[in-house]
Parts: sequence; C-alpha cells; structure tokens
Amino acid sequence: MLAFENTKCECGHQNPVGTVLCESCGYPLEIGEQENDAPLEMRYDGIARRSQKSNPNVIDRVWNFFSSVKVAIRLIIITLLAAMIGTIFTQENAFISFDPSTYYEERYGWIGKWYYKLGFSNTYESWWFILLLVMIGTSLVICSLDRVLPLYRALNKQQIRKHSQFLTRQKTVYTGPIEGAEEAWTSSIGAQLKRKHYRVHQDGSALLAEKYRFSRWGPYINHIGLIVFLLAVLLRSLPGWAMDNYVTVAEGSTVQIPDTKYYIKNEKFTIDYYTDAELPKELKGTSRAKLYETRAVLYTCSADCDDPSKQPQLTEVNRHNIVVNDPLSYKGLKAYQFGFDDTPKLKAVNPVLIDHKTGKTYGPFNLVMKDPQLTYNLGPYTLELKQTYMDFALDAEGKPTTKSREPNAPAFVFVIKGPDLAADGEPYMYFPKQNDKVRFSQDMINGELAKRFEIKVPSMTGVEFAPVETSLNIRTDRAMPYIWFGAAISMIGLIMGSYWQHRRIWLRIDDGEVTLGAHTNKNNYGMRAEVASALRGIGVVVEPKLLDNGRNKS
Amino acid sequence: MKKNRRMIQLVIFLGVLLLGGYAIGHSIFAAKDGQLPRKGSKPPEFALLGTDGKTHRLSDYKGKALVINFWGTYCPGCVTETPDLVAQYKKHNGEPLEIVGINLGEDSMAVNNFVKQYDINYTILRNEANDVQRKYGLRSYPTTFFVKPDGTIMDVFVGAMAEKDMDERITKLLKS
Repeated sequence: MLAFENTKCECGHQNPVGTVLCESCGYPLEIGEQENDAPLEMRYDGIARRSQKSNPNVIDRVWNFFSSVKVAIRLIIITLLAAMIGTIFTQENAFISFDPSTYYEERYGWIGKWYYKLGFSNTYESWWFILLLVMIGTSLVICSLDRVLPLYRALNKQQIRKHSQFLTRQKTVYTGPIEGAEEAWTSSIGAQLKRKHYRVHQDGSALLAEKYRFSRWGPYINHIGLIVFLLAVLLRSLPGWAMDNYVTVAEGSTVQIPDTKYYIKNEKFTIDYYTDAELPKELKGTSRAKLYETRAVLYTCSADCDDPSKQPQLTEVNRHNIVVNDPLSYKGLKAYQFGFDDTPKLKAVNPVLIDHKTGKTYGPFNLVMKDPQLTYNLGPYTLELKQTYMDFALDAEGKPTTKSREPNAPAFVFVIKGPDLAADGEPYMYFPKQNDKVRFSQDMINGELAKRFEIKVPSMTGVEFAPVETSLNIRTDRAMPYIWFGAAISMIGLIMGSYWQHRRIWLRIDDGEVTLGAHTNKNNYGMRAEVASALRGIGVVVEPKLLDNGRNKS
Repeated sequence: MKKNRRMIQLVIFLGVLLLGGYAIGHSIFAAKDGQLPRKGSKPPEFALLGTDGKTHRLSDYKGKALVINFWGTYCPGCVTETPDLVAQYKKHNGEPLEIVGINLGEDSMAVNNFVKQYDINYTILRNEANDVQRKYGLRSYPTTFFVKPDGTIMDVFVGAMAEKDMDERITKLLKS
C-alpha cells in the first residue's frame, strides 16, 4: 500500500515511508494534500511512525497491530466494559467458602447462571482479563516507542525555515507587509518572544520560537508510569508478595497465620455497644457497636513450626490493639479487624453424679467438649468415657451419629463401674443440655440405670462457654510501594502534558511580506493572544481573533 | 540501525511473552483459595499428627501411589466408604500404595473409636485446626484425591465412592 509512495520532498529531503509532512521543510507530502488549504494535520509533527515499512513481515505485522492507537483504544474499551460487568455481582474471591457453580444461579436466576458461565464471576483474575491487560501493556510500550523516538529526533533538529504552505496552513496565521530591514524586523520580534520565555532560533529572515517542549514527553512519562504500575501488579502474583487471608482466633488462643512463619494471639476481644443515652432517638433500643477491639500479639516461629507433634517456638515481635481501620502492622504484614463471633458455644460442663439409692452426690467433675479426659473417679465409682457425639442424631439405620463437629447437641457415653454394678461396668448416656436430654429421651436410653444414677449440672455456674472469637483479615502487599511509584510517575506525566502546552511560532519574510504560523497542541486561544501580543510589541496591531485561520472552530 | 531496531522488537516481544505468559499461566493454573487443586497439579504440602502419635508429611509419600481421603465421623458418605477403603488397602498389600485419611477437626476419642470400630488399617491423620482442608479447597465431604507416584493429582472424587469407583481409580493409579 505504501510501497509506491514518493517520499522525496520538493526541497530535496528524502523522507521515510509514511511521512505526512516533510521532515525538513514541513511541506505536505500526501497525494492531493498540496492543493488543499485546510489546516495541516500536525499530529507527531507529521513524522512517519517507526514501524511503518514498505514490506512488513510477520513480526512487523504484529508490531503494527500493537502500534495502532485505534487498536489500543478498542482494547481499553473492551477492558473497561469487562471491568464494569465484573462489578455487577459479587465476585468469587469475596467469599471465603462457597460453591460458585450453584451460587450465582440460585441467587440471581438465569442471569447469574450466564454470568458464571461466561466467567464474569471471577473477572479480574480470569485468564482473558489478564490477557487484555497484557495486550494493553504491550500496546502501551509499542505505541509509545514507535512514536516517541521519531518525535524526539524531529523536535531535536528542526528546520528553522519552513515551506510557506506549512506556515499558512497552521491554525494561527499572520501575513502582512513589514517595514524596515527583514533581519532587523525578525530580530525585534524575536526579542519580544524571548520576553515571553520562548527559545528563539533565527536563520536570516526566518525564525523559530518554541517553548514548553517538555510537555510533549508528558504522555510517554505517563505511559512509563502505567507500565511500572502493571508490572507491580504482576509482581503480586509471585509467591510471598501478596496475601489476603482470614484467621479466626478465640480469646486466649494463638493460631498460625497460614503460609507464614507468624503466629497471632488474641489476648482479649472487646466489643462495646453504645448506650441508649448516646444514641439518637431513632436508634434507641438497637445494639450499635462502638468498638471492636482485639488485643493481639504477633509472634514469629523460630523452630518446630510445622511439626504438630511439637510445640512451636515463638518469639514476640509486635503487639497492638487492633480496632477497625487500625491494623496491627509488622514488616508489611497487616492484621485488620474483620469480624467476631460471640454466639455462646459450650466449652465444658461441671456435672455431679447422684446416686439415688444412697442419696449421695459425687463430684463435680470437669467434662470438656474437646478432647475430654477418659476416666473420672467419683467416690466409689469410676466413669469411663467411651464415645462422644458433638451434634447427636440418629442416622437412617437408627444408629447414633454426629451431624457436625460443633457442640450443638453433645452426648457422652460413659461406662460406670463400681459397687453393685456389672464387673465390666454399665453404659450410661449423658446429654449435658436439658432440651437434648428430653428430645432424645435420655432416661429411656439408660433404662434401669437411670433410676439409680443421674449425671447433671447442679447450677448454671457449672457451665463454661467457649471464649469469643475474633476474625482477622491478614494482608501483605509488598508490591504496594511500586504501585505508588508507578502511579506517581504516571501523575507527573499527566501533569506535564495537561498543564503546559508545546507552543511554536515560525516566520519567514519573502520580499517584504512576513508569513507567520503558530502551532500548539491545545489552547489555540492562548496561542493567538501570545502572537498578537508579540506583534503589538513591535507595533503591529492585530486582533487575536483575526489570527484564527478560520477553517476550524477552536 | 536496522539490525538494532529488529533486536529491540524481538526483545520487547520476548519480554511480553515471558511476563504475559507468566501472568496468564498463573491465572489459569494456580489453585486459588476455595478451589480444588486440579488434575495434573501438585497437592499442597501438609504436616499432621497421625493416630500413631507421629508426624506425617505429604513429602513422606513421594514415589508411592497415594490416596488422600478427607473424612469425618459426622459425614455419612465418609462412613459408608470406609470399609471399602479398608478392603482396598488390604487387597493391595505389598504394592506401592498408601491411603491417608485426614480427619476433619474431630477430637482424638471420636477418631480413635472410629478407627477401632471399622478396623482401619491405613494411616489416619488428625487436623484439628482444619487448615489442610482449606488449603485443599474442600467444599463437601468426603473428597478423595488420587495422587500419582510423581506427585501430581490424577483425579479428584467429590462425594462418597462406590467400590467400583475406588477400584478403577486405584488400579489406574498403580499402573501410572
């Protein structure tokens, strides 16, 4: 397509394929452009992109694909759309444990089903979303590289004397007769422009004044920042760079933070509610939390960390009272208050054994739900624990079983040994909870023995509940400084490109007639005002409005 | 100059392929929390106390065909498949096969009674902290992992296995 294009300008300069405006004099090279008089397309100063070639091979074609801004914009739009769709329903990673293959359909119906099937339930971690990001990253690098290098070269060796058509086809143009010597006139307007902080280059009666060129590098610096940002995000997928875990710690206990050498202890969990006096009228009588606080201690483990047959050796490294938005923080590891569970869970009971025959009471003895002691000596009797069921039920065959490992309906099977009992003891089933005792008819199960013995908790003080559990969200994100760094670079580039404009003014004098053209990448209004002001400085009064080339609206 | 340009192109493409390939590969193959390790991936390491009082690690079973069965006495499916597991282990006695039953957070009495009741001949490990099941992304019980001698997962079976399901997989496992 580009193969037969004549790239030699009338000024004699040989331009690379794809050049829009002659690199040397600015004369338009595209066929049919010379006869036109509309303002020139000044994008990238009319240079050829680096990759524009006459005989592209496969690598060039891939390169050209990524070098296209059109492609980049499409990629960005697709990514944005996908990212938007990903916000509609809760993403999979927000749940600690659930089954996504049924959840979405059950919760949202057929939309949810398709949402899951099309992979939007895990948008941001899906392979296709990452692929889109990788493609945007590639496009970012290639687009920038393809344009910044030729642009740098073009701006570095600018011809001062431009083709007059290049000047008259700028958006800000002035033509008029001059008084006095050509070079002197040029020098005096040069002096005016210098006062406006322009860098002025003069070549006889031709002049080039330029300022704020650095703003042209803004977009590229912005892109470098984005690349750093993307690479930093990529770093997070390396093992140990980012973690987002939850631990549940009962008051008084210490647990290991998964996949780390750290252990965390919950010394005390406090939850405070507002009193009615502190609440506004509408909220009186409701329980509003004032404070959730976990007094936490962080330990590192130096030895025996993953050997369950030994106690890990812990060293305290940090302690902190964690409240919402005030995490414990140690070497990049942060523990946030996430939730708590204060529903009462049975921990232990202290029942007594009553011998109805003699009327004597033995005990109490401490019967814990988790890993109970196996024998209890009570006066002349011995209780041997044979079986426990934490959540007692009968299965399909009518055999006793447990529904879960939570002590919701605990049941204990003892063998009682002692005087007047069978030599190898007699079984006795004990339900610590009164309602279970009735529900599963404890006395009927125990039969005759129920008439002689009773195991019961004499008062509420004999019941111990498990301590409140706090749940903490443990996070590390070692990539965060790099993400901030990338974001900062990107911001610097954005500011450079947004708050400064690259302004250039060219002029040439031919036979007592000056032709002046000025170009800026934005704010043409300000550009015209500056030109008018410089002209006024040497006695040429012209309305800024009249400098408008008129063929565009800016 | 021309050569230089081609070099830069190739270096950039290589970089994109490496970094992009890593990122995409990671999103495809990494087993995330709450997801079962896939077939072909390596099961997560564990170190657990057995009913024999010793510490057992996944790495101890390297080079052997391994069946990892997650179970609890409160899960009816686990209970029904236990006698079949016992029979399988007996049947393949002397062959390089190990069966490991990881109990889900019950106390020693519940586990020991169950082991006695069913005459369990294979290794039973206790996991009171319940962290291993989380690492393995378990959603329901029982779940059984069939691990080849090279340490990769051949198959994952969710739910109670019939004798045939078990036999087929173990036979295949021993051939691999």
